[in-house]
Amino acid sequence: MNSAAASPSAPLPDNLRAPALTVGRVTPGSLDDQILAFPERMPPRKWYIAVACTGTVMTLGLAMIGYTLFTGIGAWGNNSPVFWAFDIINFVFWVGIGHAGTLISAILFIFRKRWRNAIARFAEAMTIFAVMCAGLFPLIHVGRPWLAFWLAPYPNQRGLWTNFRSPLLWDVFAVSTYFAVSAMFWYLGLLPDLASLRDRTESRIRKPIYTLLSLGWRGSASHWQHFEKAYLLLAGLATGLVLSVHSVVSFDFATSVVPGWHMTIFPPYFVVGAIFAGFAMVVMVLIVVRESMDLKNLITDFHLEVMNKVILGMSCLMGYSYVVEAFTAWYSQNSILQHTFLNYISGTYGWAGWLTICCNVLVPQLLWIRYCRRSYPWMILVALAVTVGMWFERFCIIVISLHQDYLPSAWHNYRPTLVDYGVLLGSFGIFFTLVLLFARVLPVIATTELKATLPGAQPSHGAGHGAASGGPHD
Amino acid sequence: MTDLNAGSFAVLGLFDSPDALMAAIPRVRARALGRLEAYTPYPVHGLDEALGLRRSPLGGMVLVMGVLGVVAALVFQGWLSAVDYPLVTGGKAPSSWQAFVPIMFEIMVLFATFTAGLGMLLLLNRLPYFGHPVLQSRAIRGITRDRFALAVEADGGLDPAAAASARSALEAAGALDIEVLPEPAAGPLFTAEGIQRTLAAIVAACVGAGMLMYWAVKLMPVLPPMSHILEQPRLNPQAPSTFFRDGHGMQLPVPGTVARGFLPFPARTPEAAAGMVNPLPVTRAVLARGRSEYQVRCAVCHGALGDGVPTLTAAYGAKPANLLAPANLALSDGRIYGTIVLGKNAMPSYAADLAEDDRWAVVHYVRALQRAQHAKDEDLP
Repeated sequence: MNSAAASPSAPLPDNLRAPALTVGRVTPGSLDDQILAFPERMPPRKWYIAVACTGTVMTLGLAMIGYTLFTGIGAWGNNSPVFWAFDIINFVFWVGIGHAGTLISAILFIFRKRWRNAIARFAEAMTIFAVMCAGLFPLIHVGRPWLAFWLAPYPNQRGLWTNFRSPLLWDVFAVSTYFAVSAMFWYLGLLPDLASLRDRTESRIRKPIYTLLSLGWRGSASHWQHFEKAYLLLAGLATGLVLSVHSVVSFDFATSVVPGWHMTIFPPYFVVGAIFAGFAMVVMVLIVVRESMDLKNLITDFHLEVMNKVILGMSCLMGYSYVVEAFTAWYSQNSILQHTFLNYISGTYGWAGWLTICCNVLVPQLLWIRYCRRSYPWMILVALAVTVGMWFERFCIIVISLHQDYLPSAWHNYRPTLVDYGVLLGSFGIFFTLVLLFARVLPVIATTELKATLPGAQPSHGAGHGAASGGPHD
Repeated sequence: MTDLNAGSFAVLGLFDSPDALMAAIPRVRARALGRLEAYTPYPVHGLDEALGLRRSPLGGMVLVMGVLGVVAALVFQGWLSAVDYPLVTGGKAPSSWQAFVPIMFEIMVLFATFTAGLGMLLLLNRLPYFGHPVLQSRAIRGITRDRFALAVEADGGLDPAAAASARSALEAAGALDIEVLPEPAAGPLFTAEGIQRTLAAIVAACVGAGMLMYWAVKLMPVLPPMSHILEQPRLNPQAPSTFFRDGHGMQLPVPGTVARGFLPFPARTPEAAAGMVNPLPVTRAVLARGRSEYQVRCAVCHGALGDGVPTLTAAYGAKPANLLAPANLALSDGRIYGTIVLGKNAMPSYAADLAEDDRWAVVHYVRALQRAQHAKDEDLP
């Protein structure tokens, strides 16, 4: 950090000092005893109840997916011209949820935001689970998922290659790369923590598992040097991914001619929406984790407040995007585009448009108030609103744009079936089941990263400002 | 373990704070013989410089692989889309590269990330390595928690003198605990037996995977729901059906149904039809039609020229009529038409095979054959 400016003789006034990222006395040892003890203990009763609930929902969703595979996607409400409906809405929604984790682990890492350390591990795990949920939908949406390997460009006896000018193929590459990179990022961060677990545990079952997973990590200085370099490079590369993955998802729409899709604002609009929805989900999950696992000393009110500020900023950008959409429709003087835009707010599904605007733009404005940024009920209200709003935003984009396009004789309303609702619910079940399992099996906080930023963790270069010095990467 | 006379890999001193570690490094470095290595629970600032580590070459590796990813993706997509399988989409030239950029970017990121992650782990850090002496030491529990270790190491093993001097140097630098680590046992993966076992495991895994694939390929298409593509809501000819009362899938038309081109024929004998007039004009198209039908239906008995010399084998026994015979030349169009519809002697009815227009076209063609075989000078063009 800026050690030259902070003269030891003139201490900074309190209001200029960076807020403490931990509460109470936290030492590397106490951190291990607090975080790494979770996988060693049997979970409490309420955890089993939670897993039973999410597992039931997951099973329901899997049953609905099985039913779909067996009978075909006629089981869904999709029709002509609404060829894309819940399947693609859910896909876009879940890919978006993943973006918060990548933003926290990549962009905030490069910007040296130290508050990311305590929440990065959980957010990255949520990224991976969200991308898993997202990947499910294009797969079942193809109808015959056992032939989904046709999406891969491999030499085949049909003598065909995939169409590399199709945004749908770009999407296949973007999402699979995103998953691979997120998993790599997550695993690298976990590696030193797994080594800590390995050396703590006395269990004959866990010890070999952790030994294998930690690859014999021994924390030597030369290893750390390469490790830090790799982490920095991964962060830089993942920064490109945060911006690119949802841009490519938006190309699925923007490169088509459907009114309401064919817009140049789509890539940034989608990326902002993704980060917005992702942060809301991270806030909700972190509140539960922090309360139920007693992590208030590590995930402080300050952490939640900063995340709520990000949500507020993204909400304003969403509002701006909606205004630009409206402006584009008006300024284009294209009656069909204007009709589609009016459909968002006054057509058959006009309620969905208003719900989107209320949830995404109006409700988050509460976060201007400091009290709301620090109060559970208010921030949960906002986070829930954002989650609902962002789902309905994709509903508006997909269903409202498709159900009335250029050809009035082809217009058709859309009505989801029970199977559609079941699959949507099931994806939440899958996500939260995975989150719950993760919370008990692996360290929920990146202990190694946090240790390096604790007061006194870095050598004090004689000036005695160790507490103010930054993380391992400063 | 503390026997200094046996070959030892390293002497390791434990410290309880990063400051103590940093202070010890120059002091031990000045006295010890061997390579200095530190073991810490997290990356410690300034350790690289203090230990004199070289910069990590990872950045260059990642750059090279990233560029390689971009080039590979461009060449791959370009070759497939413009050369091997030229596919014109959106009116773009086959070689338009702009559409390849998203996948070029993704492949670049993929190559670069895996180089960074796996290159760091496998190439630079030489992991996985489960046999390292430090992992078996007492100190490791502290190293991955909150202790800092400084080790004097040598790959070939420290000789007793070097170990002793390292020990005293670490003691003088204030190490809380000192441990002598033995030489690592040869990695189990690199003995002859280990290599054999590994190879055997790989072969076994390949055979297992191959058998699984074989059965998957065999079974997949015939299992539901994959087999649903074979089950189609369609009734094959002659198949039974529970839909109709009589259980037949194929049903007769409703009584009185008249098919197009098959109006009921009132005459009972060919002679009774003699007065009918050929409604078709004599055109090239009609004659071509008539010739085609004649050659399919009639020529087999009446001969290609209409002379009653059949292509049919003589064993058939019937004696087909010579259409060129004078008696037949005199027949009216309607009479020939009646014969086609009703048949004569061994000749069956062709009413079901030839529609009305086809029959009249055949009549025209028979007239053309008769005229061709009895051509007069003025018939020549």
